[in-house]
Amino acid sequence: MIQFDKVTKRYPGSDEILKNISFNIDAGEFVFLTGHSGAGKSTLLKLIAATERPTSGTVLIANQNVSQLKPSAIPFLRRRFGLIFQDHKLLYDRNCFENVILPLHINGVTGQEAAKRVRAALDKVGLLNKEKAMPITLSGGEQQRLAIARAVVSRPSILLADEPTGNLDASYAADIMAIFYAFNQVGVTVIMSTHDALGMSARQNRVMHINQGSLTEHLLKESHVDQESSSIERYTS
Amino acid sequence: MNNWLNQHIQTLKLVLSRMRHNMLSTFMICLVIGVAMCLPSLFYLAVDNLSKLTDHIQKDTEISLFLKVDANADEIKQVERQLAKNQGIANFHLVTKEEAWQQLQTKSRSNQEISDAVSQLGKNPLPDAFFIQAKSSDPDSLIQLKDTLQNLPSVELALLNTEWVKRLSSLLSLGKKLISMIAGLLAIVLLVIIGNTVRMQILTQKDEIEVSNLIGATRSFIRMPFLYAGALYGLFGGLMAVVMLIGIIQAFNLSISQIAHLYSNDFSVTLFDTQLFLAVIVSAISIGWIGSYIAVSRAIASYKIN
Repeated sequence: MIQFDKVTKRYPGSDEILKNISFNIDAGEFVFLTGHSGAGKSTLLKLIAATERPTSGTVLIANQNVSQLKPSAIPFLRRRFGLIFQDHKLLYDRNCFENVILPLHINGVTGQEAAKRVRAALDKVGLLNKEKAMPITLSGGEQQRLAIARAVVSRPSILLADEPTGNLDASYAADIMAIFYAFNQVGVTVIMSTHDALGMSARQNRVMHINQGSLTEHLLKESHVDQESSSIERYTS
Repeated sequence: MNNWLNQHIQTLKLVLSRMRHNMLSTFMICLVIGVAMCLPSLFYLAVDNLSKLTDHIQKDTEISLFLKVDANADEIKQVERQLAKNQGIANFHLVTKEEAWQQLQTKSRSNQEISDAVSQLGKNPLPDAFFIQAKSSDPDSLIQLKDTLQNLPSVELALLNTEWVKRLSSLLSLGKKLISMIAGLLAIVLLVIIGNTVRMQILTQKDEIEVSNLIGATRSFIRMPFLYAGALYGLFGGLMAVVMLIGIIQAFNLSISQIAHLYSNDFSVTLFDTQLFLAVIVSAISIGWIGSYIAVSRAIASYKIN
């Protein structure tokens, strides 16, 4: 699904953020991306989402070489992803419903079909009763859930989340994680960056750790599963 | 196809609702466009109508042929025969000295001084005269015809007064050139104004552009609402210009038709120029579209959107 082959990224006037990185993520995986802030987690996600291009090496998304894509083809590549950001990137001049419908409009889905899918997405993140509310009136956790609804409404096969729980307290973070697991269970690939995977992981997950530009991998052991399984069920049902 | 149409309708709705929210600023921009479109159109109307008027006068140009005062009936007949033979003449009529004398007396009755002067003359000082309408209204051929007529026997004077018409029409063609220059300059001004307005909108909509881009919006999707906004500014501005033009025309119409009546009885003022109105609206829309296209393309380039 996602293949990195000897990828190096350097921004103009800085050292190499990522050095000679190779990995392979299959469809349906749930991958944590860890590392200090500034280690290059966001850069790695941006390389996957094709908002940045590698300085050298190749990035293959579904067997397409991102570096060789024409600029006009990139929007269509990006529609395979659902992107979730630490700062939500919601649009505060419109209500929840209109925020979530934006990707559908971009995809050319409108009318009743679009409204149905927006409500389904809002329902999945538990915000169906807030569809008319403005995002600014929501709590931090609700805003992040709204951002997730927007990311999943066009049914992407890959979710990229850049520190989605970074600004949230523990109970909200657990909510968000439960939602991600629920999507992963129905086959969505989830790649999530975080600076502490240990505190929130419920399953045996693959963890990619970035340190000084290079990548190490290990599997996360199961821990406090019981605590969170109830909330997972709430969102999968 | 249906999707495509839907997307355009959605965008249009969005743009219109944004305009409704910023009613005052939208109105101001449309007003600026309206005034800027109105100015050259007024000029154009004035020049166009003047040139129609001169055409009209030129068509009516007569050559007055005054015979010698002592010309007798035979000589008059001879001139008449010559005129009838001439191919360049459309028609002519004779005003004998007696008829002219009578006309003068009738006309001068209203003015005391002239009628005094006329009655003091005692005898008729006027010559017989032919009034000739030429087939062509071209100034050069008129002059040629006048010269031919001047050389006929027993003709005292052939009179053709087209000089001022020629001068006026050359002035008018200068005026037309001036209009296209003014219109060109104002078009540039409008491009800048609309481009700047759209640029401001892009700044306030920066988040939306960024998010749409990250979600996978194509460039044309991002551009679309701004292009619609530009074109709509043009449309509303153009309509405003037309309304202003109609208002101004109505205000002037009465006095203009009075003046026209003084000059010539069958000259009608064609001020309601549907073609001009259409041209104003269409060019306003295209200027709006082009202005916003330039602005949004520059913005997209500077945001590094692909």
